Amino acid sequence: MPKIIIDDREIEVPEGTKVIEAAEQLGIMIPRFCYHPALGSVGACRVCAVKFLEGPFKGVQMSCMIDAKDGMIVSTNDEEAVEFRRNIIEWLMLNHPHDCPVCDEGGHCLLQDMTVSGGHGMRRYLGLKRTYRDQYLGPLVQHEMNRCIHCYRCSRFYQEFAGYFDLGVMQSANRTYFGRFKDGILESPFTGNLSDICPTGVYTDRPSRFFGRRWDYQRSPSLCINCSLGCHTTVSARYRQVVRQEARYSEAVNGYFICDRGRHGFHYARTETRPWQALIEGREVPTEGAVRAARERLAEIVSSGGPRSVACLGSGRSSLETQAMLGQLCQKKGWQGPSYFMDKSLTGKAKTAVSRLDPELAVSLRELEGSDAIVVVGADPINEAPMLALAMRQAQRRGGKIAVIDPRPIFLPFDFNHLPVRLDEINLYLSALVKAAVDPELIVDAGKDAIEFYQEAPSLEIVAASLQEKASILAQELRAGQRVVIVCGTQIVRETTPALAADHAKFLRAAKKQAGLFYLLPQANSFGAALLASSEVSFLEIIQGVEKGEIKGLIVAENDPFYSFHDRQRLELAIEKLDLLVVLDCIESTAVKKANVFLPTSTLYEAGGIFINQEGRVQAAPRAYLGGISIAQIGGGDHPPRVYGSDIPGGELRAAYQFLSQIGNGDQIEDDDPTRRSLLRWIADNIPPLAEIPPFDELSENGMRISSSNDTSPQFAVNWQEEKEKGKGSEGPLEIILTDWTFGTEELSSFSPPLMKLERKPYASMHTDDAARLGLGHGDKAKIKLDEGNLEVDVCIEENMASGVVILPRHRLLEWQKIKSLPKFVRFEEIEKVSG
Amino acid sequence: MIPRELKESLAQHIASIDHPRELVVDVMFAVQDHYGYLSDEAVEEVAELLDMSPLEVEQLATFYTFIYREPVGKYVIHVCDSVICWMEGHESLLDHLSGKLGINLGETTPDGMFSLLPVCCIGYCDRAPAILINKKVYGPLTIEKLDDILEKLRAEGLTPSI
Repeated sequence: MPKIIIDDREIEVPEGTKVIEAAEQLGIMIPRFCYHPALGSVGACRVCAVKFLEGPFKGVQMSCMIDAKDGMIVSTNDEEAVEFRRNIIEWLMLNHPHDCPVCDEGGHCLLQDMTVSGGHGMRRYLGLKRTYRDQYLGPLVQHEMNRCIHCYRCSRFYQEFAGYFDLGVMQSANRTYFGRFKDGILESPFTGNLSDICPTGVYTDRPSRFFGRRWDYQRSPSLCINCSLGCHTTVSARYRQVVRQEARYSEAVNGYFICDRGRHGFHYARTETRPWQALIEGREVPTEGAVRAARERLAEIVSSGGPRSVACLGSGRSSLETQAMLGQLCQKKGWQGPSYFMDKSLTGKAKTAVSRLDPELAVSLRELEGSDAIVVVGADPINEAPMLALAMRQAQRRGGKIAVIDPRPIFLPFDFNHLPVRLDEINLYLSALVKAAVDPELIVDAGKDAIEFYQEAPSLEIVAASLQEKASILAQELRAGQRVVIVCGTQIVRETTPALAADHAKFLRAAKKQAGLFYLLPQANSFGAALLASSEVSFLEIIQGVEKGEIKGLIVAENDPFYSFHDRQRLELAIEKLDLLVVLDCIESTAVKKANVFLPTSTLYEAGGIFINQEGRVQAAPRAYLGGISIAQIGGGDHPPRVYGSDIPGGELRAAYQFLSQIGNGDQIEDDDPTRRSLLRWIADNIPPLAEIPPFDELSENGMRISSSNDTSPQFAVNWQEEKEKGKGSEGPLEIILTDWTFGTEELSSFSPPLMKLERKPYASMHTDDAARLGLGHGDKAKIKLDEGNLEVDVCIEENMASGVVILPRHRLLEWQKIKSLPKFVRFEEIEKVSG
Repeated sequence: MIPRELKESLAQHIASIDHPRELVVDVMFAVQDHYGYLSDEAVEEVAELLDMSPLEVEQLATFYTFIYREPVGKYVIHVCDSVICWMEGHESLLDHLSGKLGINLGETTPDGMFSLLPVCCIGYCDRAPAILINKKVYGPLTIEKLDDILEKLRAEGLTPSI
């Protein structure tokens, strides 16, 4: 490893480290605009010039373009280099409008910093400045081209890093323009990163304009909870509301970037419709009264019907604390549950994903970027967990090959091969691909189970004729791959798929490949939910219990079954039948409206919390601000807002786990710490994988990856006969597959006004052949006959999806809850074109 | 819309090439020859032919001097704007052209006859100062020669073509 001396200090760095990076390791921040660690070096801006005194290069050179080599002596503060940089900055500033006082970047602007630190203070150029016309780029990013210094970071991120091609660089020389072909909404779901990486104010966060300077904000590290990846964010709050969320660097998870759903998904915490006041039968009451009422009425139910007449429903969007408090209560009180998933199939899949995630196989999102072959089964990265698509693109850019086995019309921002097959065929196709990719000679010593598994697994013969060629190319690519990762979804797949994905990863490892396994889970903390969930009771069983009259009281913590349960009619009847529905939540929901007792809970930003992402990484977010109704809302334009009293308006919120503790244990909570501490102790004692979990504030920056795998779960236990039987024949009815979209289906982010502007109107996707048989054309409206009434929806006809399925988004504007049961099949006769 | 025959012949050419994107400049020229310039609509048509985004085509279209994104005159005069021509009297040539035609660089005469544009070194340094008119080189030029050329072209341009 080369040793280099920078400003009289020596450092040893790995081969290939640029001088600018070596200096950074020494704590010397050489000025930079075009250089960005994620984007690499291009040497375009010339502001990172340093002087090379000794070694293979001499004189003033760009430190981002030169690898550190033995014998190099570099000076960053040599007079010649300093003057060079000062001139460059003066030159970059020639056309800059100097509008810092009205610029949203002002205060955290790299250009400001570099200008001041570069020593350019007085303007000498008195000529006319070059000006541009700005474009409308959509609801998330504000454009102001006059501030541009032509560093190219935006177009390099947008096109090279993220793989979208509707923003780039046009014209040349002094007219160089960064933008779109025409005004319009940016197509990428990663556009907010433009605001983060732009070194000046060309791209700024549009929804948070005119609200404050960065130094006005209470800024704190946080986590994104809009999908299961657990990306790191920085939250900015002011006047009791979250104003902005930015990407926070994470070595293990998201790198430098986040997706737009995560960035703008926080609005649920500040919407005007958020419920702030405890309610009994819809009447506003003091919080303590509501807690007491809940406690007393639960006690009544238990005294007449026994502890099993109370059930608990949690969710994957709650912190581990809240999830665990439900677990503790059920354990202590003998209540039913806790359930966090809507049906047993989903519980089973999530539990399998957790128990089969062998530490040897688990890969982080960043590790995934280094794989050379990825097989995706039953997952739609850009819609379910956008940052996964961005990580996969990095693997692909480095030469990795990517295969997707999924019935949906998958789009990814890079080249990949798609095998669009029905859900019943996914297992077979995965097996056939993996089998063909393995050298039979390598597995002789892999153990009896693996060998038998190999022998019995279906071969490429099962692949449909139309996909044969593609599948054999994929198998070859997979065979050539050394670092192979299987990415497996848990939402739409059959219950057997997650285990099979683990089997195949294990099998690839037996075949001497560095195989990895990467699951996607439905929600941010579904991992915690899976660890805690009762395997007997899912929400469906709770409903059955209510119908039979066995369950009289239901506690729902941070879940809205009216949003997530697939049988609306049945749910409504069951809720009617309950004696008591206690709902704790931080968002406006149907469940809140129907609750007998409602308690308003604080959000992640107001309470902090622990979340476990899909790879078993335990991460903590501290409280970002104290909470309360925002000044904007209290004042309603009044200035200054007058509320008489010394309390914070809306300040009676508590974390859901605190309310639960009060309801269940009768605690008087003054301070959250004792509850949280005892709760963490309970978690450590009761959930073996979390036995080593450190106290909240001692979790490191990258969290702690736990080992949740469970050797007792059956491995290589596949009934191939049954699988092959199921995979046969496609002439049957059409299966309805409920799916996620990037925008419009995830519960929390669906409260975000800027994201609502990006939502597409819900539509059903159908394969060309099926649509032809039904006489449906692209854009037609179809009527789908469901058990609970007809669903009218626009039809989108796609070539690149499986036939025999209808894809419906779990969209907030679509009454998909009419489907009644899952899996759900409809006959061709039950779909017809709506004329007119 | 590009005429069907042109579109088909371009599509055929594109299909016969391993890396179709390499053809983007040729396709832009072909479409420009048809329209006289590369309109917004033309950019989108080129993008569609080559399976690129309109922005990707625009990035190239706006970079190259000989792709015209706005309507140009019947005769496009490119005045060489590089060192040797500067030394040989480029400036007075340009001043004269501007004055005579009544337009600045980047503009077209109201009668639609002439457009005036700069161009980077065209490699005719031996004939400096040089200009290009509709891809034909003229040089070394003097004011008198230039006047002759303009007169001739104007007369030619006014003759209705059959």
